[in-house]
Amino acid sequence: MKLIACTEGHSSKIEAFSLEMIAAARSIAQAGDEVVAFFAGRDAEGASASFGAADRLIVARATKLDVIPAETYAVLLRDVVTAESPGLVLVPYSANGLDVAADIAARTGWPLISYVNEIKRHGESLTIVAQMYGGKVLADCEVQLPAILMINPGAFAEAAPGPIAAASVQTIDAEPTLASGKVRMVAIDVPDYADVDLTTAERIVCVGRGIGDEASIDLARNLATMLGAEIAGSRPVVDNGWLPKLRQVGKSGQKVKPKLYLALGVSGAPEHLEGMSQADLIIAVNTDPKAPIFNVAHYGATCDLFDLVANLSDRLRAGSGR
Amino acid sequence: MNILVVLRMIPDSAGELQLAEDGRSIDREWLDFQLNDFDDHALEEAILLKEAGGAKVTAVAVGEGTNRVLQMAAARGADEVVALQAEEDAMISSREIAASIAAMARAKSADLVLCGVQSSEDVFGQLAPYVGALLDWPHVSGTNRIVANGAVLRVTQERGAGVAVTYELATPAVLGVQTASKAPRYVSGSKLREASKTPIGRAAPESSGFERSAEIITLRLPVQGGSGENLGGDAETVADRLVSILAAKGLARN
Ligand SMILES: Cc1cc2nc3c(=O)[nH]c(=O)nc-3n(C[C@H](O)[C@H](O)[C@H](O)COP(=O)(O)OP(=O)(O)OC[C@H]3O[C@@H](n4cnc5c(N)ncnc54)[C@H](O)[C@@H]3O)c2cc1C
Ligand SMILES: Nc1ncnc2c1ncn2[C@@H]1O[C@H](COP(=O)(O)O)[C@@H](O)[C@H]1O
Repeated sequence: MKLIACTEGHSSKIEAFSLEMIAAARSIAQAGDEVVAFFAGRDAEGASASFGAADRLIVARATKLDVIPAETYAVLLRDVVTAESPGLVLVPYSANGLDVAADIAARTGWPLISYVNEIKRHGESLTIVAQMYGGKVLADCEVQLPAILMINPGAFAEAAPGPIAAASVQTIDAEPTLASGKVRMVAIDVPDYADVDLTTAERIVCVGRGIGDEASIDLARNLATMLGAEIAGSRPVVDNGWLPKLRQVGKSGQKVKPKLYLALGVSGAPEHLEGMSQADLIIAVNTDPKAPIFNVAHYGATCDLFDLVANLSDRLRAGSGR
Repeated sequence: MNILVVLRMIPDSAGELQLAEDGRSIDREWLDFQLNDFDDHALEEAILLKEAGGAKVTAVAVGEGTNRVLQMAAARGADEVVALQAEEDAMISSREIAASIAAMARAKSADLVLCGVQSSEDVFGQLAPYVGALLDWPHVSGTNRIVANGAVLRVTQERGAGVAVTYELATPAVLGVQTASKAPRYVSGSKLREASKTPIGRAAPESSGFERSAEIITLRLPVQGGSGENLGGDAETVADRLVSILAAKGLARN
């Protein structure tokens, strides 16, 4: 059986989760199986230099664009799926994967399971552990091959990076597919990290939707100031315009690794954890004892965040002699 | 432009979730159902597009409490509202409903289908790419800005690290909205009361057309705790403990 591990990169960088897809495929590959990495993008050299853990690499090479539209990626992948007849296609849960996985599922008719954390193989079927309800529930699923899985970043340890033999690399020209694509990339906006760079912050106080309203952000901001911390927010807080985009932590925000991460009223959805679970010290305050943030917290408290902020601010103020 | 926006009702997962007796679903009896967050943003984006350039917005809702949410959609500016029938007490699977949404997009001569980028109750896929592939229309997910210039759409997509990529595509198209260009608006009680008179259309579901699908065998609650310490629920005690924990690690002062 062939297992296709979908990989990604942008400009001259290979996304680290690409190696996780190869590792996920390897973890269930049996003797005689072949793990085929599929890459579409500009950095064909990077792919060849990194994906040695795969048995074979198919590169759809773009020469101009930094980001391949998912629509084009999906068309290129469809051709590969038709040519290779794999038993399994592994797609990362990424901005690109969100469009690619179900597109391939709809066009092949193959089953799809998303938000996958674990895979076990039993011959022609798989048992899967997938996350639901913002990480509050785990679903044990069963699926017959051929199938498609969308894998959570961080669920599998990266395969060791290394070069793949030139003889095992097949290169396709992606340009004609890009040229005939219905979705054209027109701009990339990279934020100016000069103002705030959460990725280098040593201490972060992060507020979630539990903060309730914009005015209350100030309470958390004052606490952050006392702690010498940067203020940050979860997606809904930023979406509501209560904090600027650069202060969002998570999948589409910043990936941070501070010495202190104090989460106030954050539920700990997988997309949030992706950005902060590696912090050295995580303290979480959430009135819901079942909130998934407690699964990664070193210290958790179930009191009201406003009571905690008031009490902690009082003590820090007294301690500093103010 | 005709816009079809899909509104899915899902359980409020901020509350306590309990497993149903069959072990394959959650107990829905005492749950609050609310509009999927991302679908709320999709609705807002539809209304913003209508205000910016004129459009007819049809909202189709599915799940528990659709009447209430369709009245809210009408109050916010939807021109037509339709309830898509679904199996009672079942999770809403995008793989199951995609064919119905595609059929409705055709029937309403939609130029644009908007749906939320994902729903937390659905492990079998994402609605926008399913519908896009079934219609063979281009689809882009994770949008945080949509601008229409006639039949040409400019769509900005969130990537990691705050990077945003902008694409151009022509209608007809399907978009999976992550965030509306502006935060979803608040509707006043008087507008809601007025909208409660809006007639609600009904649509029968189509067969999904998929012969094979994955299956949920059991649901379970993750084993909690890990190695973390629970400091309890008394704010004063917690604050005292945190001060000493932070002090011990040299983190209490700036
Ligand atoms: C493609 C994609 C990318 C995403 N990227 C990101 C991202 O980068 N960052 C991100 O954060 N999310 C991201 N999300 C969204 C993510 O799925 C969640 O919706 C989001 O993280 C939830 O934010 P929250 O925890 O603040 O809100 P909620 O889930 O609503 O949680 C609020 C919490 O506050 C608690 N609470 C309420 N009141 C109080 C109180 N008074 N005291 C204490 N606790 C209280 C509640 O118990 C609840 O647990 C993304 C989603 C998708 C689909
Ligand atoms: N997640 C991403 N998706 C797409 N493009 C990205 C992403 N991250 C960075 N870029 C772009 O890649 C180039 C290099 O970015 P950097 O990661 O800052 O080195 C820039 O053109 C960025 O706009």
